[in-house]
Amino acid sequence: MQLTAQLSSGAGAARDVRVLLLRDDLLICVAASGALDPAVPAACRVADRPSFEQAITSGEITGGPEIVVPVQADGVVVGLLVLGGGDALGEDERDTWLRLAGLLGFGISRAAIVDDLQQEAERSRGLERLKGEFLNIAAHELRSPLGIIRGYASMLSEGTLPETDRGTALARIAEKAEEMARLISDMLETARLETIGLELELEPVELLGVIDAALAEMRPLLGVDHRFPPVERSGAIAVVADRKRLTTMLTNLLDNAIKYSPGGGDIEVDCERDGRVARVQVRDHGIGINAEQAHMLFTRFGRLVTPETSHIRGTGLGLYLARETARLHGGDIHVTSTLGGGTTFTVVLPLA
Amino acid sequence: MEDDVKVLLIEDDVAAAEMYRLRLVADGYTVIIGHDGHEGLRLAAEEAPDFIYLDLRMPGLDGFEVLERLRAEPATMHTPVIILSNYGEPELRERGLRLGALEFLVKADTTPAHLSQTVERAVSPRSLPSA
Repeated sequence: MQLTAQLSSGAGAARDVRVLLLRDDLLICVAASGALDPAVPAACRVADRPSFEQAITSGEITGGPEIVVPVQADGVVVGLLVLGGGDALGEDERDTWLRLAGLLGFGISRAAIVDDLQQEAERSRGLERLKGEFLNIAAHELRSPLGIIRGYASMLSEGTLPETDRGTALARIAEKAEEMARLISDMLETARLETIGLELELEPVELLGVIDAALAEMRPLLGVDHRFPPVERSGAIAVVADRKRLTTMLTNLLDNAIKYSPGGGDIEVDCERDGRVARVQVRDHGIGINAEQAHMLFTRFGRLVTPETSHIRGTGLGLYLARETARLHGGDIHVTSTLGGGTTFTVVLPLA
Repeated sequence: MEDDVKVLLIEDDVAAAEMYRLRLVADGYTVIIGHDGHEGLRLAAEEAPDFIYLDLRMPGLDGFEVLERLRAEPATMHTPVIILSNYGEPELRERGLRLGALEFLVKADTTPAHLSQTVERAVSPRSLPSA
């Protein structure tokens, strides 16, 4: 470990100085200039942990070939000044190095406070943005289904709707209420994820059953030209998962497939084992997207708005939540797409 | 009295178009639907509607562009147009009215009955209540 600098305390000869800081249980070497040296931590840990730990236990300057001055921030040892140079410390020199260590410790504790404050500020800016986006959803996305529900409800209560159209009206009201419920649940789930984090309710789950439930939930939303072909079944596939969230993840993927294939077509769902993982694919033959833009789909509010998609309603939360859910389960979601050729989402989950 | 009044709905949301159509038909109007901006313009030219409802957010050609083109055509220059949108922002409202829309309605606040009354007011000004 060669990270040294020449420094003089003013009271004695110039000495080689190494600064070691303990952060998150890792020793980080800092050159006397204060610059972090990312190349060094591992070497540093191996080379200096014993002397560091000794200093922490004793809390005192030790003798020997190296002189170690503990650096304390708020009463906790967070680092060391390691002084070379052979000669024992004189009284004045010792005081000077102790003062320097004291100043360094004070600086570190202030820096930690500033760090915390900055993180807090960043978090609160993030929540502020989230609030803005939610207001936007409330203003636009919730209004549209609300308009249909209100409209049909008013016609039903006025009695202006012909008898033959009442069934359609009730079906539309149910469907739009369902759409609103999904929007609201996506918003709540996002808020939870961004504030307290999601806690999964894990249980053994059979994937084909979850797929069937998701397909049944989304079937009423299929356009006249859409079709869910039968899912191929090659035996049960068991995972440990949060059943409700897994179903929601699949309905979000299906919802996306339906919305972005306005011309209809098959929306295929496949499920297979592959080594130690289960793989679920949702494939549409819709408008697709540029391969370069595909990764943006999963960012929060990352809807790709183009002239072809600007009229398609959406919160930009569904795919974001889908991927977060997959990752919380120890899996992931990938996408492949070609512009005009459709999109395939692949969910990978560890097998039970 | 509403005989032969032809209403064109330019609206890509099938559920909304169908709902408003039901009420307008029940009130005796003839209703045609354009499912996007281009179809709307074509129907406006071919069918010479007496009245047009226009959505803003549509694939291809949005409502503002449709309105500009309607106003540029001698045949549709004076056809009353009401904008029917999910959005209610003041700047959109202003832009719509400046382009010559008669009114700007927000869908969630517009029941089919209310919608139907706006046609009635627009096509037979003499029947306006003497408020």
